[in-house]
Amino acid sequence: MARYDQWLKRRLPAAASVVLQNRRLFIFPSRSGGLFLAVLALLLLLAINYQSNLVYGLVFWLFTVFIVAVHFTHANLMGLRVSAGPIESVYAGQLARCTLTLDCSSRLRGHTALKCSWPESSCWVSVPVQGRVSITLERRVIARGWYQPPRVKVESWYPLGLLRCWSFIELDWNGLGWPKPEQPPVTTHVASAGHGARWHQQGGDDLTGFRDYREGDPLHRVSWRSFARQQPLQVRQFSTPQSDDTWLSWDQFETGTQEQRLSWLCWLAVRRDASGQAYGLRLPNVVIQPGTGDRHRMRVLRELALFGEVEALS
Amino acid sequence: MTVFSVLSTPVLIGLVSSLLLALVPLYSELPSWVLFAAVLAILELVRLQRRTQALPGRALRVALTLTAVTMVWFQYRSFIGLEPMVALLVLGVSLKLLECAGERDVYQVVFLGLFLVATGFLFSQSLPISLVGVLALAILLTTLVSLNRGSNQWLWQDFRLAILMLLLAAPLMLVMFVFFPRIAPLWSVPNTSGKAITGMSDTLAPGSVAKLGRSAEVVFRARFDGDIPAAAQRYWRGVVLSDFDGEQWQSVPWRQLPEAERRLQAPSYSGESVNYRVVQEPTRQRWLFALPYAQSDTVGVFETVDYRLAVAEPLESQFAFDVRSQAVADSAEPLSTWRHKLETHLPATANPRTRQWVSTVQNQYSTAETLAEAILKYFREQAFYYTLQPPLLNDSDFVDAFLFDSRRGFCEHYAYTFAVVMRMAGIPARVVAGYQGGEVNPLNNSVVVRQFDAHAWTEIWIAGRGWLRIDPTAAVAPERIELGLEAALPNADSFLVDSPLSVYRFRHLALVNWLRLRYDVMAYQWQSFIVGFDNDRQINLLERWLGKVSADRSATVFLLSWALILVPLGLILARSRQISRLSFAERSFKNVCRKLRARGLNRMPGETPRALLVRAENDPRIPVSLRQALAEAELQLYASRTDTDPH
Repeated sequence: MARYDQWLKRRLPAAASVVLQNRRLFIFPSRSGGLFLAVLALLLLLAINYQSNLVYGLVFWLFTVFIVAVHFTHANLMGLRVSAGPIESVYAGQLARCTLTLDCSSRLRGHTALKCSWPESSCWVSVPVQGRVSITLERRVIARGWYQPPRVKVESWYPLGLLRCWSFIELDWNGLGWPKPEQPPVTTHVASAGHGARWHQQGGDDLTGFRDYREGDPLHRVSWRSFARQQPLQVRQFSTPQSDDTWLSWDQFETGTQEQRLSWLCWLAVRRDASGQAYGLRLPNVVIQPGTGDRHRMRVLRELALFGEVEALS
Repeated sequence: MTVFSVLSTPVLIGLVSSLLLALVPLYSELPSWVLFAAVLAILELVRLQRRTQALPGRALRVALTLTAVTMVWFQYRSFIGLEPMVALLVLGVSLKLLECAGERDVYQVVFLGLFLVATGFLFSQSLPISLVGVLALAILLTTLVSLNRGSNQWLWQDFRLAILMLLLAAPLMLVMFVFFPRIAPLWSVPNTSGKAITGMSDTLAPGSVAKLGRSAEVVFRARFDGDIPAAAQRYWRGVVLSDFDGEQWQSVPWRQLPEAERRLQAPSYSGESVNYRVVQEPTRQRWLFALPYAQSDTVGVFETVDYRLAVAEPLESQFAFDVRSQAVADSAEPLSTWRHKLETHLPATANPRTRQWVSTVQNQYSTAETLAEAILKYFREQAFYYTLQPPLLNDSDFVDAFLFDSRRGFCEHYAYTFAVVMRMAGIPARVVAGYQGGEVNPLNNSVVVRQFDAHAWTEIWIAGRGWLRIDPTAAVAPERIELGLEAALPNADSFLVDSPLSVYRFRHLALVNWLRLRYDVMAYQWQSFIVGFDNDRQINLLERWLGKVSADRSATVFLLSWALILVPLGLILARSRQISRLSFAERSFKNVCRKLRARGLNRMPGETPRALLVRAENDPRIPVSLRQALAEAELQLYASRTDTDPH
């Protein structure tokens, strides 16, 4: 099996976007196709034994339709462009939704009734002429860190169902799995003061309004959402900070393995974030200054997810 | 377990219509209850589907299956034979429909439908039946397309795709049809179980030919190479009836012939030869119809001792054969003792009045020729009538009653009586049954012979001259021989009552008649090609194309012709899939730019989409919809750049 995987990897190398071409496509009669050929053999016997030229003609016609169907089934997949779309970051143990974009560049024919699947998840889709369709497949993330979704199998039986044409698509994409949040045994607050005071004049939890961007404003305050709507750059303003000593620290636990500690820190970070408190993260090799908001949480979770991993992947 | 049928609408439509079509050719071959059951099952499927009701349970299905098998047994008393097997097949499909719940069942029903179409072809290979079969085939393929498209909406596109595939496959199929070696049957198969077919039979009693006058069914078509003989000369001999038992005339089966009588001894014919090809409809009889004296080179056709053509097995389907006929047989050999006895045999007692009359006439006319002429003159001069509806006569003294009392009869009455009279005079005489005349189709120089052309006449043997045809009907109703049956009958007679809708009735309308003749030409060509394509013709055709037939030469041509069709098909399909290097957003932007150019707004070199949008919004020539399209394309360009950002 490993050998087959290697061969497949060499034959179908990974890429961010893959166009299905001749050498990527495999085709073989489906189970119904096998039954169909058996029926043809019986009909041929009927033609021979009854010396009926019309039945001969019927058998030959069905057989040649089968041959023509090879071309049609093959053409239904050919030229399909499959690209890796956004991929969801989730906590370990959760289902991540991975988006695939299917793209038809032909002006004449679309791609009808394709089945995209990997072992746990499958999806039927048709791509109209010159159209683009996004589908999501789900994948359970087992551990924290970078994960790569498996090869996507794209199959088609259209138009007659007598043949199956398929290809495997190895996309060059990866998603992030955060540690699974777990409640720590005892919440020991080892507060440490000082750090993070820099932003506190402007930091806080309750959003009070927006103002125009000025040189030197922290980037995490910029409202990217409104910027995407083609409005001028704006910065979110918050009320005064409540506390400045909420550090989540690797050292605050007396017990626990590395993974347990990461899970506990994750749980605490999510709690802080939900209650709106500012929080910072202190790991053996990384320090993140206290802050709030989505972007901050993402940064914290990313550090927790990638703790101890080789950064080469990102 | 309750099972619901989850067929989509187009699949349901496809299954129902294709199965109904596939049943059409079987309509006349199966008992009506089988067809009724099939139609009922189809309607039941539609009803269950529309009401979303559960399919019948297992117990009910088993009960239905057992009932069906039992009923087929009681219908045929056997499961061997084409009809019981087809009846079982039809009932099987019907029952399968009642458990048609999922995708796999649909495939199975479609494949069974293919079998139905094929069995329809076993019963008839005529042009209309073939067309119905092809239509059923196209709809079966459409069903598969709809099934695999997987939507609940009926689209013509599915049907078009099925037709397209059939059309693309057709040339490949023709090549295969011509090249595929024709093999002899691998084992003997049960044939049709001998249900009566309307047509000439090998026994002749008063009334047996007249009933054929009610039908306009085609019996055979003959296409002539040269001039067509005149109507009065077109006596298509079918079967010779030599054995008279006092009530009816019968043919002598080949098995009952003594060894020495079985073979025609070196016949020699003279006179101008007429060449033609006959395509005969199935008769379930062994004899073929041809003009005298016929010879044929077609494989499987042999010449009988009484100058007829015959085949070894009863004709279950159409049969095509080539004939060469010459008018005169030079055999002047005397009859063998056995045959002389057979051809003069007469039960001793019946018909005393005729017997007496014959002996008085015989005193005046001593030779066979003059005697025959005298009898014909009697028919001509006395008040004899030619009618399709003669009165029923007492069987034992039939000839007496006919000759002296009723004097109303159809051709078989005259032939019957004349042959009996001849035998009373000791002259070898026999009845010949077949067809006479036929309609000439000038469009392809052919003759179409229908059931109402059925005719019976006599032959008498004269020393030194051999067998001589004498048609007593010609003495009574010469117009029957010259112009055909309709001209010879009084208006109120029952001509064509069994074919009320036959197009033949409307042939006085010029357009209808032209279409009818045109159709007949096509039907002849179809049958001559399809039915007559045997090993011989295959080799002839291949020799004409390839020069010499050898396995590797055939294989080369076969593969080349396939490649000629398949390679361009593959290229065309691949061509329509040429890969665009542009992304989706770039393509839509390019499309919009093309439309803008058509409106007179050209994109400057290096101009950004945003700038172009600003210009478009200030340009009155650009409609609002196009501005919106440009704005969307611009957004997509922007969006696509961000969503391909790495995480």
